[in-house]
Amino acid sequence: MPRLTTRLAVASAAALALGVPSVAAAKTTITMSGSTSVAPLVAKLAKSYVKTHRGVAFKLLQGGSDVGISDVAHDRVTIGNSSRDPKPTDPSGLVFNKIARDAVCLITNNANPVGNLSSAQIQGIFSGSVRGWGDVPNGKGGTIDLIGRTAASGTYDAFNKIFMGTSKISTTMSQKASNGLVQQSVKSDPNGIGYVSLAFTAGVHTASYNGVPCTLRNAKSGQYGGVRNFFMVTRGAATGATKKWINWVQKNPTAQQIVATDWVPLA
Amino acid sequence: MRYLPAWGTWTDRRVERLLGALACTVLALIAAMVVFVFTKAWPSFAHNGLSWFGGGGNVDRQLAAIFDSPSNPQDYVYTLHAWPMLYATALLSGIAVICGLVFALLCAVFIVEFAPEPMRRVLEPAVRLLAAVPSVVYGLIGILVLVPLVGNHVVSESMKRSVAYVVQLDGTSLLVGAAVLTVMVTPIMIAIVVDALRAVPRGWTEGAAALGVNRWRAMWTISVRAARPAIVAAAVLATARALGEAIMLAMVAGSVGFAPNPLDGMLFFFEPARPLAATIVDNAEGLSVVPFGQTIYAFAAVLLVSSLFLSLAGWAAKRPLKRYGLAAR
Repeated sequence: MPRLTTRLAVASAAALALGVPSVAAAKTTITMSGSTSVAPLVAKLAKSYVKTHRGVAFKLLQGGSDVGISDVAHDRVTIGNSSRDPKPTDPSGLVFNKIARDAVCLITNNANPVGNLSSAQIQGIFSGSVRGWGDVPNGKGGTIDLIGRTAASGTYDAFNKIFMGTSKISTTMSQKASNGLVQQSVKSDPNGIGYVSLAFTAGVHTASYNGVPCTLRNAKSGQYGGVRNFFMVTRGAATGATKKWINWVQKNPTAQQIVATDWVPLA
Repeated sequence: MRYLPAWGTWTDRRVERLLGALACTVLALIAAMVVFVFTKAWPSFAHNGLSWFGGGGNVDRQLAAIFDSPSNPQDYVYTLHAWPMLYATALLSGIAVICGLVFALLCAVFIVEFAPEPMRRVLEPAVRLLAAVPSVVYGLIGILVLVPLVGNHVVSESMKRSVAYVVQLDGTSLLVGAAVLTVMVTPIMIAIVVDALRAVPRGWTEGAAALGVNRWRAMWTISVRAARPAIVAAAVLATARALGEAIMLAMVAGSVGFAPNPLDGMLFFFEPARPLAATIVDNAEGLSVVPFGQTIYAFAAVLLVSSLFLSLAGWAAKRPLKRYGLAAR
């Protein structure tokens, strides 16, 4: 038995060693971590980038905007991906490179297809002063269930800044740990209203904001107001291969085309 | 492999030292972890003092304020009154373990004494399988089935309206959290109690039977009594699992720092609660903000200490029981 386990261990170690692709010495590896909302976009971009730029390899991790920012500040990764704007508490010396924009949509249950919500109505609903769907035009009646993200998330930050103005988000709001959980909760709660990234609006009703439906087209044209920024964060200004990569993401037509599939390219 | 002697030729002394070193590594790891967590958590406790454990204000507002602290370390915000989360932790684990213990005891008695052989052969592996199901699976079932069921069909519109300005009853609730947690911790308790009941010497119950006592009574007065230390151990293990449960409760118990109020009558069970471990999971994204990270570590420190006290309490409760119990074995 011991001999068998030893053999197994050796065999699996060998398999591991073979499984890891040998990286040519000349290749530069760009490591990235951070926002889960930015990750799908960056993965698509990187896949296309390595086809034309042979000398570069990528490693992409997730974890949330704050994880990315912390990682890049501690030099654990080359680039930290962030879906929130810079904050005063961020470590100094970081450069936020804007790479794309993303729409934040208001969603309700399919059984409760509210049409349009104005800024004032959204502030009333999410600050907790309007508690019944009867007080909302086209609302089906019943009590409003607020569903949102935790205070530490990029989406909460964006929603708070863009939609809430000076009003404070009500403390009765159920705080979910991810976009997907908000989407699921609204899907199964006829009284629910929540806010998510545009990519998470399948299976729920999206409300218009200030008269503009939340669609990719309206976000691109600039008519839809609820749009936030995606950033690649570097420690100091980017240099060498990293600089080339960020420039490519920001300016190259191929990159812009990829961004435009689900997000808003920089103008 | 050549440098190590063959397994069979190891002397006892060498084995003793090697295994001793391994055991010491575990101790050192635990000590290092406790020291690390407490040094990280210290500023949060130091700024609040004992009021950290008290109530007052809204805990989610306080967490948000800590997250939005200014960048200057002198101006970091630490004010936190964590009572709603401590209360939720105690409430959820308490309800789950007490309900689970009663159920587990009766179930174990049935499996050991009354179940027909074919049924027992199915029941026992099934219980052990249930004990090994990852908690996130329970969380998924909870959020996809139980939460909508309670939110849309059990809680009425008038109940929702009556407390609309204080708290929202959307189905994520104490009731669902405690129910799923009970299902999660019961199988472990059943497995432990079954083993203990079976270890009771056959002669003791046979003696009772010889005196004309029926099986149920013999079970209840002799076997269950003799197995009390094991029952305490089962409860301690179950409480430990309930205390540390994070993902599932974050999904189904409602992610609001609200303290359910027993004076609300029936509504009490439909009110949301968020225990410490779930708060850590929900807010892990903000760890990089220094004072916020320290606050999260403070939650972890409280969980560590409570599990330590739990082991101590279990040990203390078992000591007097062991005199009459299975220690004679």
